[in-house]
Amino acid sequence: MAEERRGSWFGFGFCGFGQALGSGRGRQVHSPEPLATPGPGADVCRVSASWSYTAVVTRERPSPPHFRPRPGGVVRPPPSQPSAPAGGGQLQLSGAADGAAGGCRDAWASEALLVVLRAGPADGPGPELQAWAPGSALRGEPLWTHTLVPEAGREDAAGGEPQARALPLLPGARAYVSPRPPFYRPLAPELRARRLELGGEHALLLDEAGQVFSWGQGRHGQLGHGTLEAAREPRLLEALQGLPMAEVAAGGWHSVCVSETGDIYVWGWNESGQLALPTRSLAEDGKTVAREAGRPNEGDSDMRTVGSEDGAPAPFIAIQPFPALLDLPRGAEAAQASCGSRHTAVVTRTGELYTWGWGKYGQLGHQDTTSLDRPRRVEYFVDKRLQVRAVSCGLWNTYVYAVEKEESGPPQPRA
Amino acid sequence: MAEDNHEPLAGASALREALWALLPPTKEELVPELGEEVEAGVARLLREAAALFCGGRRSACLQASEAVLDYSWEKLNTGPWRDVPKDWRRVYALGCLLKAACLCHEPGDAPAVAEALRVCDMGLLMGAAIHGDVLLKVAAVLQAHLPAGKRPGPAQEQPSTKKARNDGVSVPDVASERQVPRLRCPSLQHFRKQFLAPGRPVILEGVVDQWPCMTKWSLEYLQEIAGCRTVPVEVGSRYTDEDWSQTLMTVNEFISKHLRGESSDVGYLAQHRLFDQIPELKRDISIPDYCCLGDGEEDEITINAWFGPRGTVSPLHQDPQQNFLVQVIGRKYIRLYSPQESEALYPHETHLLHNTSQVDVENPDLERFPRFAEAPFLSCVLSPGEVLFIPVRYWHYVRALDLSFSVSFWWS
Repeated sequence: MAEERRGSWFGFGFCGFGQALGSGRGRQVHSPEPLATPGPGADVCRVSASWSYTAVVTRERPSPPHFRPRPGGVVRPPPSQPSAPAGGGQLQLSGAADGAAGGCRDAWASEALLVVLRAGPADGPGPELQAWAPGSALRGEPLWTHTLVPEAGREDAAGGEPQARALPLLPGARAYVSPRPPFYRPLAPELRARRLELGGEHALLLDEAGQVFSWGQGRHGQLGHGTLEAAREPRLLEALQGLPMAEVAAGGWHSVCVSETGDIYVWGWNESGQLALPTRSLAEDGKTVAREAGRPNEGDSDMRTVGSEDGAPAPFIAIQPFPALLDLPRGAEAAQASCGSRHTAVVTRTGELYTWGWGKYGQLGHQDTTSLDRPRRVEYFVDKRLQVRAVSCGLWNTYVYAVEKEESGPPQPRA
Repeated sequence: MAEDNHEPLAGASALREALWALLPPTKEELVPELGEEVEAGVARLLREAAALFCGGRRSACLQASEAVLDYSWEKLNTGPWRDVPKDWRRVYALGCLLKAACLCHEPGDAPAVAEALRVCDMGLLMGAAIHGDVLLKVAAVLQAHLPAGKRPGPAQEQPSTKKARNDGVSVPDVASERQVPRLRCPSLQHFRKQFLAPGRPVILEGVVDQWPCMTKWSLEYLQEIAGCRTVPVEVGSRYTDEDWSQTLMTVNEFISKHLRGESSDVGYLAQHRLFDQIPELKRDISIPDYCCLGDGEEDEITINAWFGPRGTVSPLHQDPQQNFLVQVIGRKYIRLYSPQESEALYPHETHLLHNTSQVDVENPDLERFPRFAEAPFLSCVLSPGEVLFIPVRYWHYVRALDLSFSVSFWWS
């Protein structure tokens, strides 16, 4: 069995509070840089970025992640983020909030609240959920705590994904944590949640069967039910029925999901092109879609362009109220997606990273601050011969986990 | 006093002094206490921006203010507008204040001052009042330091004689429809007893004859007073259409593009509290006396401007307050349906549009909406100098027959 090379994390975008990105100089980074905190060589298993600070969880001691093919024999790429160690690792904050703590399995950063999942003792009460004021530097007492039921079997549950269920979804998937009161929010058990993502004013849930549910505000179309109405309870995305999803991601006012076959679906607000649909704001700045000067992108022929052959202007889409299928260049298949407040990042199965949407703070990683309403590959990783494995967006920045490319041959199936 | 672009230093220092006099002198006074809704990170950045400003570090202050603006803008767009905590709107306004002040820091040229004015207007449109309405005062100072403003096209041009976008647009056969009654200066008691209490529409004549707007307002005058001010404009035939959108532009741009120009898009400066934004225009209007018959305070009355080309349409809808619609420029065709007829008007079922009818009044789809044909209504052509009383929740449909400027007063 081939041993997975340790990868490392990179970041780009807004770092006006001195958070973990790059060298820590300046307020913005426009091209990927290795993380300054916790430093090269650290075994980071979770990056959660809020607007003014970033939380990073590293393992106490290195251990190779487990790989296993999904039941049914379909080989998938290695898990996007190495699983959190059962005993809990080290949590480090950087930016407007600082501090560190041990025994942490997971962390979730927001401006109002830092949520930490502390490992419980092996045979005692279960893990403890703690909510801290970000400015507390993890000293003193948390704002509130909640002891969870010790779950039977953790990441090694038969048939389960090696990837831990991440905050804000709580282990056991019976509830999730919210940055606004009430902080502890139960989920109906029949939902069988696998992943939960919180947007600016909505929530997305992916269940064990690959179905997507949404609830919250709908005025920007982010719920995907075809209307602008709000939903108080989780409501099934009927437009996606029959298409099992593997990943979901929620931005400020938009939603993205990735199917098991590698297709991307987007819906919600497109004001900065975050849905990769033509947007009026960029057209008026003369920036929409064009064949850009400089590096040509192969495979552009299957990209939608603004302006059809007869010169009639293509319709601009401000709000997309139900899922739309999005094609990446070169027919690339998606593996994982993450959203900032107004931008989108997607990792492909072949280890490329595509970004689009709002780019004012360099969060797209294309060495400039222009916004884009179509996907563009982040060439840094191609140039450095790095395979991107995971992406995690803060509001205005993007964190990427990548490993060095293998020298030869296609990826081998791993036992 | 017109500014000469070739002597930026002389004018610019006068501008700076005028601005400095308006601003709180210390960073502690610049940023007031903010509630718990405003998180520690952004509060800290805002205070840092204020400190940078007071320390003369313009470029760094601009960067910090920009981030504060972008972050608070996201909060302003989260959740229903009426639920946005006022402190977020204050933060946004403070960001605008700092940014505008920084843009005028250096010996300015007209584009920088125009941009600073645009930023002030953003703070006025989306922010909440800070430091005793300082943004209004800053806007007035900036406006005074802008060159007299480019006027597109000859000043004498009469836009109403220009080729209209929709030539052959119909003037309805109003004579065949039941008319809204007209009264000349009725007494307060008469108005209350016959119209306000029973909720009956009426056109009041002679009530606004002395208002300065009746004689002063023209496109040239409006451009002179407010030409470089940024205002919200609705683009698209009607707000129930799919391709309807809202955008921002200066009054000059609005007039040249949508009133004088041949734009294929209908642009409507609609339902905008222009008189809160530009106090100088407020001096040209007053408050109808009959508003004193209501329960509310005078400063609770919402005054909206409705300024647009021929052909703007407000689909049939109802409002939750009493309304006086004052017609200043041009004529409007208006149809009124009683709230008792609501079922025959087929309101939208969504919460967002539940106060709007699905029926296109002048081109109704009677197969889908059969009962509409039988619903009784009143109609009128409202002309300059006339005031239409629209009782609370009375359904109304409005189409401009000419280039039009109306002022509405929502009161309770």
